[in-house]
Amino acid sequence: MTAATQATTSTAAAAPPAVTIRDLTIVYRTPAGELPAVSGVDLDLPPGTITGLVGESGSGKSTLALSLLGAVQRPGRIAAGSIHVDGLGNLVELSAKSLQEARGGEIGYVFQAAQNSLNPLKTVGKQLLDLGRSHGVRDRTALVRSAKELLAGMGLDAARVLDSYQHELSGGMRQRVGIMFALVLNAHVLVLDEPTTALDMISQANVLKIVRAVHTERGLTTLLVTHDIGVVAEVAERIAVMYGGVVVEQGETADVLRAPKHPYARALINAIPRVSGDLSAARPLPGRPPTLGTIPTRGCVFRERCAVYAERQLPACVAEQPPLAPVADGSGRLVACHAVAVEDQQATGETA
Amino acid sequence: MRNLLVRLAGHLVRALVMIWVVATFTFFLIRLMPGDPVAAQYEKLVQQGMSPDAARNATRLTYGFLPTGSGWDQYVHYLWRLLHFDFGRSTQTLGVNASAEVLTGAKWTIGLVLAGILISFALGTVLGVIAAIRRSSGVGDALTITGSLFHAIPQFVMALVLITVFTVIWPVFPTDGNVDILVDPGFNGPYVASLVSHASLPALAYALSMFGSYLLTMRSSVISVLGDDFVLAAELRGLTRTMRLRYIARNALLPLFTIFALTIGFMFGGAVFIEKAFNYPGMGITLINSIGHRDYSTMNATFLLITAAVIVANIVADLLYTAIDPRVRRGGEAVA
Ligand SMILES: Nc1ncnc2c1ncn2[C@@H]1O[C@H](COP(=O)(O)OP(=O)(O)OP(=O)(O)O)[C@@H](O)[C@H]1O
Ligand SMILES: [Mg+2]
Repeated sequence: MTAATQATTSTAAAAPPAVTIRDLTIVYRTPAGELPAVSGVDLDLPPGTITGLVGESGSGKSTLALSLLGAVQRPGRIAAGSIHVDGLGNLVELSAKSLQEARGGEIGYVFQAAQNSLNPLKTVGKQLLDLGRSHGVRDRTALVRSAKELLAGMGLDAARVLDSYQHELSGGMRQRVGIMFALVLNAHVLVLDEPTTALDMISQANVLKIVRAVHTERGLTTLLVTHDIGVVAEVAERIAVMYGGVVVEQGETADVLRAPKHPYARALINAIPRVSGDLSAARPLPGRPPTLGTIPTRGCVFRERCAVYAERQLPACVAEQPPLAPVADGSGRLVACHAVAVEDQQATGETA
Repeated sequence: MRNLLVRLAGHLVRALVMIWVVATFTFFLIRLMPGDPVAAQYEKLVQQGMSPDAARNATRLTYGFLPTGSGWDQYVHYLWRLLHFDFGRSTQTLGVNASAEVLTGAKWTIGLVLAGILISFALGTVLGVIAAIRRSSGVGDALTITGSLFHAIPQFVMALVLITVFTVIWPVFPTDGNVDILVDPGFNGPYVASLVSHASLPALAYALSMFGSYLLTMRSSVISVLGDDFVLAAELRGLTRTMRLRYIARNALLPLFTIFALTIGFMFGGAVFIEKAFNYPGMGITLINSIGHRDYSTMNATFLLITAAVIVANIVADLLYTAIDPRVRRGGEAVA
């Protein structure tokens, strides 16, 4: 009794992250050897928040998202680091059986190309029962009932959807069915990889509204992968910006969008002409995003396209990848940039 | 359901057209043979002193063709007989209708072909799935090579190898015919056992010469399905491995129905070689004998029966496809 009370109070007070990723490195085997798609990433997902993960194509977002389910696809593998998920422990050390149960059980995943995430030969309902069977669900009536509740909550004709095949559903409907599958077994962590990418504007807005609603209603911890900063601005409390397999900036969405600190984050955010903003201020980022083979192995991954490096040529930028460190303003923002660290030092030096 | 009926109707129309084309083709083929056997028979009978009318009737009975009259009349008459399943008389077995002659052989051939298809399909698809999933290991390579090898061996070579191995080197199967004539016919143990042991090697010859192409097709089909989004999605949803394999296999089977139809034609074609090698009294032997005896009626009936069998197999394959693929069965509009 006391222990239980204590446990509740301590969770409420400290609110440890629901997901803690530390020093995660994921490599793909290529003809040129094993190359990292994700290198030394630290990322916390606080419980009850939506974290947006943004970055250009090939920056390693999907690879990182898959690792949250212990499902990095061959020829990739987790080479180092840990992924702690509340209630599951370190995913990297889990057995294949426990991982299979965790997927769809504790952690739900909504697929990038959700357009084709269903077996085309079976109805949604049959696939729901397959899901139940795979997870040892005894009460099939209850399973169907919660699926119907979820579908109805997302504005669908539940009975009809369960009796439909994939090809009979529109894009927006398929995406909502994908969300149903991710949550029907009461997952508390939700990973969405580009959930709105293939949808038209109206469906996009609808799906985002739904994501927001189920997230709040169920008290989820959500990671939303996208390359659309607008989507993050709309739904995410926190944002993590990835470049070349590295998280370069992390913080509250509002803070980061208002005043991005990392030169890449700044370039990325400035590249979108804001509706109210000055069109001429919108500059596209020069150069191309790196691929596995072209990510610099020494020094800062962003150096080659970095405006600050071009101007100041800090030797540290060539020597090593800067660690993701808190900035001095006390906002809890984390930035991986030598130049920002130097500025901070100067600033604190002046005040001291 | 309506979809299915429309489909079936379409099939029937196409089937009739195809049978008509083949029937017309054989009509002209036989009429254009050197020495026109139909006219020759008629003339022979007239010379032997038969009245033209009687000779005309006798020839018609034999060939199902009118020997005289305009080409058009003869053609219409021929089609009319076909509509009544009258293919004329066999000239090698006197007094027997060509259709009866062919059907006697056909039932044995169809038995062998069906057994061969079932065995090769089961073997080929299961091994194909394994070859695809283990494609980067020795097992996968070995299966793929075996598949290509068997695919390349001609049916009569396969038959001869089986005969050598299982009746000469290691005599466990009979060589000759379809049943031991010393056993009492009927539904009794020894008779059935004799039927099965006689059919084993020829059925195996069909199966071994076919499973390679099923294996290779299934392998590439599974590999392509493995790259589909829904397979990864099923994994991320935590479906068990068995369940995922079932999803993959069922989706991968679809393209096999396309080659299924080709296979059937190939198998009936092979009947000639395999039945000859095992002296198995099926349609292939009937065809060989009818060619030897210039028994045109029987030949004609055999061609038409093979055509019909291939068409029926095509229809069955397509209906199975329809049954298994909801995108065909339940055409496409999204629910509102
Ligand atoms: N199976 C694989 N084999 C080899 N390299 C891979 C594989 N999958 C991904 N990669 C590489 O890993 C890097 C990260 O890929 P990932 O899919 O995680 O990027 P992403 O940020 O999700 O991009 P996108 O916005 O295009 O989805 C890319 O350079 C990609 O080429
Ligand atoms: Mg991606």
